Amino acid sequence: MKGRTWPAALGLGLLLLVAVVASLALGDFTLRPLEVLRALGGGGDELARTVVWDLRMPRTLVGLAVGGALAASGVAMQAFFRNSLASPGLLGVSAGGALGAVTALALGAGAVSLWTVPAASILGAFLATGAVMLLARRGSSPEHLLLCGVALNAIFGAGTSFLLALNAGQFQVSGQILFWLMGGIENRTWQHVWISLPAIVLCSALLLPLGRALNLLSLGEPSAQSLGVDVGRLRWQLIALSTVLTALATAVGGMVGFVGLVVPHLLRLAFGPDHRRLLPLSMLGGAALVLLCDLPTRFLPGGMRLGVMTALLGGPFLLWMLRRNPC
Amino acid sequence: MLRAEGLNLGSRLRAVSFHLEAGLAVAVVGPNGAGKSTLLQALAGLLRVEGRVSWQGRELSRIPFLERGRTLAWLGQESHAEFAFPVREVVAQGRHAWGDDGQGVEAALAALDISYLAQRPITQLSGGERRRVFLARALATGAPLQLWDEPAANLDVRHALEVVKLAQGLAAHGSTLLVTLHDLRTAYRFHRVMVLDQGRLVGFGPPAAVLTPELIRTVFRVEARQGQAMVLELPGE
Repeated sequence: MKGRTWPAALGLGLLLLVAVVASLALGDFTLRPLEVLRALGGGGDELARTVVWDLRMPRTLVGLAVGGALAASGVAMQAFFRNSLASPGLLGVSAGGALGAVTALALGAGAVSLWTVPAASILGAFLATGAVMLLARRGSSPEHLLLCGVALNAIFGAGTSFLLALNAGQFQVSGQILFWLMGGIENRTWQHVWISLPAIVLCSALLLPLGRALNLLSLGEPSAQSLGVDVGRLRWQLIALSTVLTALATAVGGMVGFVGLVVPHLLRLAFGPDHRRLLPLSMLGGAALVLLCDLPTRFLPGGMRLGVMTALLGGPFLLWMLRRNPC
Repeated sequence: MLRAEGLNLGSRLRAVSFHLEAGLAVAVVGPNGAGKSTLLQALAGLLRVEGRVSWQGRELSRIPFLERGRTLAWLGQESHAEFAFPVREVVAQGRHAWGDDGQGVEAALAALDISYLAQRPITQLSGGERRRVFLARALATGAPLQLWDEPAANLDVRHALEVVKLAQGLAAHGSTLLVTLHDLRTAYRFHRVMVLDQGRLVGFGPPAAVLTPELIRTVFRVEARQGQAMVLELPGE
């Protein structure tokens, strides 16, 4: 397995590079790769520079941040719960973040400051994580865990639907709420990049060194502690980091499901469960998946949003996984 | 020396106190729910209990986590594994507190007779094989205090005897072991026997002195009778 790490990282890195170039090049105003490079270097015509730097670069960077964050958060949650079906989406953390954001939007707080909605999203995600922790004790059965997630998703979804119905007459607010529900990274600005990317990079950098401890934790909490891991501290680090990552991703990308579930699981099957490899590879894979899923949304009818694309890919994958490995 | 003073945890542990010299292997016996696993977890610092546990004169709860990982090894009853780590990587986790130096990993694999499984994912092993993997991980820590909770559960007769032999060998090299068991006959192979009943320590000493027919009747509610029974031992013992 170890010998396959660098080729895997290289392969995923190349895939990500292709996705980034495609994300910068494709759309209503399609550019050739060379034109993209020229625009990136400050050359070429002004229209191409505007398209690349002001429209597609923020969208691409937000996509990278959202994908990397959701996948990293999925890895952390799966190790924490010792369950490969745990993910920010299934456990209701994304729904909690979306409800927080939607509440802020419905109250008109979105106009107060660009930071209000992400802050509300983080609060909602933390509330959801707290509820999961209370309801599903660690090491509890997969059924118990998933049922807790189903219940929380239903509760937060009900709240979101209520707010949506309440604001049905107000086109702008209901449109914004729909954005959270369906996920998407179009029309992202550099401000969205600054809100999400630095904090996501920081949280990911803090998560990466925990890979070894995650390996021990994923084989049992008490045994990890007996082997020298400060489990109490590690637990809080994981809760805080995975929740902030999910919340930030939700704040700028809305509800993008299945990335945190599918990417770690697929890469674990391919390259083994060692979290020292799985964390960075999942970040690369998650970023690439979100960018690739964003591409068709530019050409297909308006309803084919990012969250719809990832769910269309992730749903069948989850069914396949459950069939292969029934819990 | 391991010293426990006044360990209390509701009805699970009641005023358990003892001290134990290094180089002794102790069998911890008692009926289901007597507090055997709780005692081992308390000694390992995994459960908050009233009272004090000290090792070589130092209070265990004050020893930093990493140093504790080098001081004691705990084998729990659970052998579930969700993720498919190769056996060698699981055993190598025993060296976490040593900076993952990999020392003694091969020897631990060999001692538990699982070298041939080293590359196999742990999720593909049987219950007994997984037990031996986690025991090898405890062994790989090189910790002088070994706390094993039912290491022989799910093991076939030969490997169960190997575990007893392993405990005796470690004790001979100066380690201190507390091993929970259900088979009272196996307990005779240990230097000391500790009998727990409803959270209380009701007997502690050399097996022949502690495991009297009266105590066995009172604690386990079975009659102990000397008689001719098949004796199972490893070849050359």
